[in-house]
Amino acid sequence: MWLSFNILSRMVDLSGLDPDEVALRLTMSTAETEGVERMNAHLDTIIAVKLLDVRPHPNADKLTLCDVDTGSEKLRVVCGAPNHKKGDIVALATVGTQFGVEFTVKKTKIRGEDSSGMLCSEKEMGLSDDHSGIMILPVDTKLGATMSGLFPSWRDTRIEIDNKSITHRPDLWSHSGFAREIASLYGRAYTSPVDMSIPKSFPAGASFDVRIDSPDGAPRYCGLSVKNIKIAESPEWLKAAVSAVGMRPINNIVDITNYVMVEIGQPMHAFDRAKLRGDTIIVRMAAKDENLTTLDGEEHRLSTEDVVIADRDGAVALAGVMGGGNSEIDDATTEIVLEAANFNPVNIRKSAARYALRTEAAIRFEKSLAPGLCEAAIIRSFDLIRQIIPGAEASSRIVDAYPVIAKPVRVSTSMDFIRKKLGHPVDDKRIAEILSSLDFELKGDAGALDIGVPGYRATRDISIPDDIVEEVGRIYGYDNIPPKAPMVPCAPPPANEKRAMERRVKQILSRNHNLIEVSNYSFVGEDLLNRLKMNGDRELRLRNPLSQEQDRLRRSLVPNLIKNIELNQRYNDAFRIYELGRVYLKEKRTDTALAVENTRVTGAVYRKKADSPLFYEARAIAADLLGQIGVSGVRLLPAEKNLPPYAHPGRSLEILIGKDRAGLVFELHPAAREAFDIRGPAALFDLDLDAVIAAKKTGRAFTELPRFPEVPFELSVLADRFTYAADIMETIRKSSRELVRTADVVSVYEGDPVPAGKKSVSIRVVFAAADRTLGPDEIEKAQKKVIGDLDAKGFKLR
Amino acid sequence: MEQKLEAIRAAATQAISSAPSIDELESIRVKVLGRKGELTAILRTLGELSPEERSRVGQKSNQIKAELEAVLESRKADLLDSRINETLKEEWLDVTLASAGASRAFEPGRLHPLSQIQYEIENIFTSMGFTVLDGPEVETDYYNFEALNIPAHHPARDMQDTFWTEDGNLLRTHTSAIQVRGMERLKPPFRVIGPGRVFRYEATDASHENTFYQVEGMMVDRDISVADLIYFMKVLLKEIFGREVAIRLRPGYFPFVEPGFELDIHCLICDGKGCSVCKQSGWVELLPCGLVHPNVLRYGKIDPDKWSGFAFGLGMNRLIMMRYGINDIRHFQSGDIRFLRQF
Repeated sequence: MWLSFNILSRMVDLSGLDPDEVALRLTMSTAETEGVERMNAHLDTIIAVKLLDVRPHPNADKLTLCDVDTGSEKLRVVCGAPNHKKGDIVALATVGTQFGVEFTVKKTKIRGEDSSGMLCSEKEMGLSDDHSGIMILPVDTKLGATMSGLFPSWRDTRIEIDNKSITHRPDLWSHSGFAREIASLYGRAYTSPVDMSIPKSFPAGASFDVRIDSPDGAPRYCGLSVKNIKIAESPEWLKAAVSAVGMRPINNIVDITNYVMVEIGQPMHAFDRAKLRGDTIIVRMAAKDENLTTLDGEEHRLSTEDVVIADRDGAVALAGVMGGGNSEIDDATTEIVLEAANFNPVNIRKSAARYALRTEAAIRFEKSLAPGLCEAAIIRSFDLIRQIIPGAEASSRIVDAYPVIAKPVRVSTSMDFIRKKLGHPVDDKRIAEILSSLDFELKGDAGALDIGVPGYRATRDISIPDDIVEEVGRIYGYDNIPPKAPMVPCAPPPANEKRAMERRVKQILSRNHNLIEVSNYSFVGEDLLNRLKMNGDRELRLRNPLSQEQDRLRRSLVPNLIKNIELNQRYNDAFRIYELGRVYLKEKRTDTALAVENTRVTGAVYRKKADSPLFYEARAIAADLLGQIGVSGVRLLPAEKNLPPYAHPGRSLEILIGKDRAGLVFELHPAAREAFDIRGPAALFDLDLDAVIAAKKTGRAFTELPRFPEVPFELSVLADRFTYAADIMETIRKSSRELVRTADVVSVYEGDPVPAGKKSVSIRVVFAAADRTLGPDEIEKAQKKVIGDLDAKGFKLR
Repeated sequence: MEQKLEAIRAAATQAISSAPSIDELESIRVKVLGRKGELTAILRTLGELSPEERSRVGQKSNQIKAELEAVLESRKADLLDSRINETLKEEWLDVTLASAGASRAFEPGRLHPLSQIQYEIENIFTSMGFTVLDGPEVETDYYNFEALNIPAHHPARDMQDTFWTEDGNLLRTHTSAIQVRGMERLKPPFRVIGPGRVFRYEATDASHENTFYQVEGMMVDRDISVADLIYFMKVLLKEIFGREVAIRLRPGYFPFVEPGFELDIHCLICDGKGCSVCKQSGWVELLPCGLVHPNVLRYGKIDPDKWSGFAFGLGMNRLIMMRYGINDIRHFQSGDIRFLRQF
């Protein structure tokens, strides 16, 4: 929103104030300002000149050579306009004039002829949209006079306000609101632009009546008819004022209603009295399927949640949003009905959204405007009409339908409460001063303040003591409050076990196993799931996705991690990555209960060329992770069934905690590698962190170092190629539990002379006892038993 | 006899000086000085000589023996030296490489910069008695909006474009959703922070993301004031940036706090002088904060007449971007390790 200094200065004296400083003060105490613009600064260096001679340009048909007299010197200018002649007084942008940042007038040659300046059209100067030719000034204009002197209304300064910072302050959607703030901040007086004595001159009767059928939707409606209207262009100051706040001048009545809206914040409308059918203005909810064509020419089928203004025959305006075409004023209009009403913010907000018509009016109404503004707006509009259209006069009293008068808001608090909340000893006098300057009425004493809230702050903005604290604090200046450490008991905070575990897991993976942590979106899309052949349509969908690639919530971290591999392999021959994050699980997608959020940790090892299967690296990482955390009851078992489609069926291992699958270690299925053009193997682990957190943990305990000799025993057995080494070792361990301390596979060999389909597995067994040195007989017996037991299982010694 | 001795000396000296290895040296020593060596053999025949001759030849042979032993030792030392020099030469490494035959260094693991900043902030706050809290990322309208004093159709909902899920819930738009959940779980007084992932329905570009990270902070106790809030914010920023940072507090509207503030810090790029990053203002908006609105306390079943509190929300992505001069917020969720390995 734009704040015009010209408009503000009619309500508060701005003399001596630097606009940048005002903007900063407002930012620090009221609302965020986004910049200060000196409007039409170019008018300072555009001057009135007389055309001494106009003749054709020798090298261009459409250009003329003009000799001009600035009053102090004579210049030559090339001009392309069609409408000027010798003797005219015109506007010359002198050399150096800056039009915004993009264009500066320079001394130049145009088609071989010198030109020292530019003759301007009204549009070029920002005075109107007229670009039919250069501006011809009255013949008696003094030569050398600047345009800013001739058109002072157009030379304004404006501050841009961040709209988001005033959503809670309906009063700040107007210049009067900011004028009051500036008055308070600088200790100056605020003058209301509204002369409340004017209605005394209004007639007592009215040719129309107002009936509110839905007071919930429209608490108040004020109307005033004005006759002897002549629709015309607005005077310069009004056109300049509405232009300064970013609106286009239309005609005197529309400009006045717009001006009053930006001046005091009340949106208004003007109907052509002659076009209203019947004599009653009805404010009601729209009927089902009722139609209305708004001023922008769009036809709308209305909803029963819309508030409409209607006459005898139907809707004439979508209340608070936009007027209807059927009652629009036009050049023939002679009598109007001015409307200033108050509408329910929720209805307006919904209507504006429903028809995508977030008009200036709707934006204001949805902030909860004060009903008290209606009458003032009518009076102010009439005042301006009277000034601008001589002969215009009120043809009715103010017809005011206000069935339930808004109750004044009062807040009870105390000086001490305010000081306690601020944490700073602002004295009583200063507090009272600040509140009074903001139009609050103070009663009672310091211990029991009874504060009357001005109507324009009372709709939603201020209702509780804490709101009063803010008023005092912001005007006092938060920067004037020194920090203070609170006096509170000192105790270690309760731990968050889950967060601690997440952190520990990340430390183990990043620091011990050198994985890089990635963070992926919570979203997946159909295409990604299809490429991985895992689209069971079970993902919770978004109602308003941003794209098809991100239209549902992930049930697994794997798909996005595979995409990470796809991306990173382009720039890296080898890497290890992982993500720790949540997946969102729902049995029934539309069930209103929240999705179960399962925290998982999923990692990948990738190498373009791997000498040995990467599976073992992923397995080592997962196994060590569980080991370091001390999860008890972990079993790692070959997984052949219930595998996700992206897992290699011959290279998958499931992680069981107790009886439940808590994770999977696997190499990427060749088909998945193919689908993502991943060159080289990748091995992943995917672990349910919630299961890890819930699992029982084993503590650490010291084990005595071996005190008696260990006796190694190496042997090789022949086994079927698909035999799991774990089975062989299990047989060995079981063969003499007390004596086998360790049994490790040291190598596996396939190929000549081992027969095809077989492999040779070399194992190193260590025999030992905790309490004695093993004797030769004992050792031999144990060795024989190992060989015998293996043999019985079909593993022949080589 | 003496001529014989001289011949042995000459031959041995010659052999020693040209011996190519320590092994060769040893065999020369055995051949000349060994028990069956040439010199030893001469010494053995001394008995056959006259006493005068014996003494002269004996002296001479001992002298030659000592001489040869010294030459042997010296030659041995030389050979050892050259052998070590040989090894040194052989063992030369191109130390400009990072590993054998490759210049790419061993790559250590990394924590995502968001994790790093999160843990930094957690450490600062837990050291001041704050508990770390969690909440769901798919949230109900109640916790994300209603209980934060943002009823349906409140204009403040416009400030946070929301992703809605088909089950009628939403992706939390701010970690403030943790506030009322925290209050339901904890009895005052308490101090909590809640770091986490939040979502906005917003097209992405260099400065906008649909997924980012915030940390929520909240303290509820007796008589919490604006001055307390400023204190904690100053401590936080000093710890994060490693020095005192100029801040300013200005009014900001958030329905769940009253009064509410925007906290700005001096632009770190230009140190407050004004630059393109801070739009010439010298200040950068960093975090919204305020005193907890009494309605929010009530939603959390806490009596606002007895307790009060402050709350703040800090965007972690922005903090990291400022710290490292990152110019595109989309890097965080890109999964590109060329980005991630820089931190």
